[in-house]
Amino acid sequence: MDPVITLNAVDYAIIGGYILVMIFVGYSLKKYMKTGEDFFLSGRSLPGWITGLAFLSANLGALEVIGMVANSAKYGIATIHFYWVGAIPAMVFLGIFMMPFYYGSRVRTVPEYLKLRYNEATRGLNAISFAIMTVLMSGISLYAMALLFKLMLGWSLTGSILFGAVVVLLYVFWGGLSSSIYNEVIQFFLIWLGLLPIVFLGLKEVGGFAGFVAKLKEPLLHSAKYLGTSANPLGVDWFGVVFGLGFVLSFGYWTTDFLVVQRALASKNINSARMTPIIAAFPKMLVPIIVVIPGLVALLVLPEFSQAALPTADYNSALILLMKHYLPNGLLGLAITALLASFMSGMAGNVTAFNTIWTYDIYGSYIKKGKSDSHYLRMGKYATVFGVAISVGTAYIVQSFPNIMDYMQLVFSFFNAPLFATFLLGMFWAGATGWGGFFGLLVGILTAAGHYILYKLGVLHYASDMAANFYQAWWAWLADFVVTIGVSLFTAKRKPEELAGLVFGLTPKTKAAVRWLARPAVWGILAIVIAIVLNIIFW
Amino acid sequence: MNEKSEMKDQETGMSQGHVLDIKLPIGWLLSAYGLLLGIYGLVTKKEMYAKSLGFNLNVVWGGLMLAIGAGFLLAAFLKKDRAGR
Repeated sequence: MDPVITLNAVDYAIIGGYILVMIFVGYSLKKYMKTGEDFFLSGRSLPGWITGLAFLSANLGALEVIGMVANSAKYGIATIHFYWVGAIPAMVFLGIFMMPFYYGSRVRTVPEYLKLRYNEATRGLNAISFAIMTVLMSGISLYAMALLFKLMLGWSLTGSILFGAVVVLLYVFWGGLSSSIYNEVIQFFLIWLGLLPIVFLGLKEVGGFAGFVAKLKEPLLHSAKYLGTSANPLGVDWFGVVFGLGFVLSFGYWTTDFLVVQRALASKNINSARMTPIIAAFPKMLVPIIVVIPGLVALLVLPEFSQAALPTADYNSALILLMKHYLPNGLLGLAITALLASFMSGMAGNVTAFNTIWTYDIYGSYIKKGKSDSHYLRMGKYATVFGVAISVGTAYIVQSFPNIMDYMQLVFSFFNAPLFATFLLGMFWAGATGWGGFFGLLVGILTAAGHYILYKLGVLHYASDMAANFYQAWWAWLADFVVTIGVSLFTAKRKPEELAGLVFGLTPKTKAAVRWLARPAVWGILAIVIAIVLNIIFW
Repeated sequence: MNEKSEMKDQETGMSQGHVLDIKLPIGWLLSAYGLLLGIYGLVTKKEMYAKSLGFNLNVVWGGLMLAIGAGFLLAAFLKKDRAGR
């Protein structure tokens, strides 16, 4: 097959420039990596705007961008649910209510919090399931990128997978979390600069929003109006969107996934840590501009997505075909660099989360306890190497799943969805006991797995895979919630003194030390209000 | 977290942290991209821009990126200057 896009020397210069800067940043951070905390948590020294942009970018990987453009071409405006329902409320909740316990208790990882709040077994269960998830996700990023290079430039899958893996390995090995975060910030700017030209040209060609309204089918233009009717392209009802996506999946991901929480833990003080997800919420609200609009434009301008071609259309190719359609050489290189950057950072984020969890929560807790800090720093570097190696293997597993995004949601609903129930009860109900937390989490994960098996066997029926994922998350969450409460009622409670700093209500309130304009609650409420208004506009 | 150290953090930003100023690599990268795209746009023919609806996107977007990149560099140097005094 001929490559879709032909690049010239200028395009390659732009791609090469990015790789060089990335490696340079990693290398110049090397000399600062003296302690474990420097390597795993950036020495807890970064300002809120950097951790905030990194918090957002960690989630804006290549597969997120390509997958969301694909979703927009498939489901229309309803894709905004992944942003204004499925992200903003959870991000604000994390900043205002949960971050004081994460950052305030000085834990280094999410599983470590579970150990302090519940028990060692709960931590082990979460650490191991999370470590598996990060290498899976890292492999997905790798595969998405390799597929992109294959379609676009005609590179071999194996060649791209190895190339991407080596670059990420280099800069994470040298600079740890700081490398990851710095590249995420650079990626944030590249992704906007690389994709906005497509948005402008696309809107111009179709005649702006009026063009969408005139030429697209009505259900594609509304986010909520057709939910629960047969015309709804998403195939999901109200309950699925609000509780499955908006509550369980979204809160599970944004508030308990160490990949994103780690960025906030790298902040220099508690106010910056709380502001991290809230700062991220504002650009997050705007991301639909660069994913939803291109998806809709693709339906109107690309022959591959004309009415006649639709049944067999490969939605994941929408973004790449748009680049080819609109961008001249030069800018084309920039757009491809933006995707490359978002892929690299998606993978690097998973690798840094993996090496931290592995070193602190698995190796340092079960394999070799009580070693020196420099021993663990070295282990973190080794973990980076084998984390990348496992990702390369995972990249080949992913090939059998056609819609990458659906797969991603599936993985989340196995691990994150039940975890949110464990955290909710742990942080806000002092009565939750150690074994309550453990069995709740275990049953939650098993419920997700059982639901998935029953769905695949055809015992359970849903209108779409997406609906099945949303409901799976909901049932897993409910199972965890109910079992945690049930077991807690019959097992020994901890003394309230032991839970100070870990549970809401048992933690002395500190007076806000910053002026009102710097307060998380003020900005959090503003973000929620804007999200509500946006939802109403695109109803 | 007491009030005093909170205030100090806000005043000095990253200077008390341990790492390089992120504004520098962003600034250099975007400026270099802007220059390269701008020059490339000036030397390429009009026909190349038929697909971008007639706009010479390399010049327009290159100029914008150069401006953003220069902004980051300026911010980084101003801060260094202040910290140096």
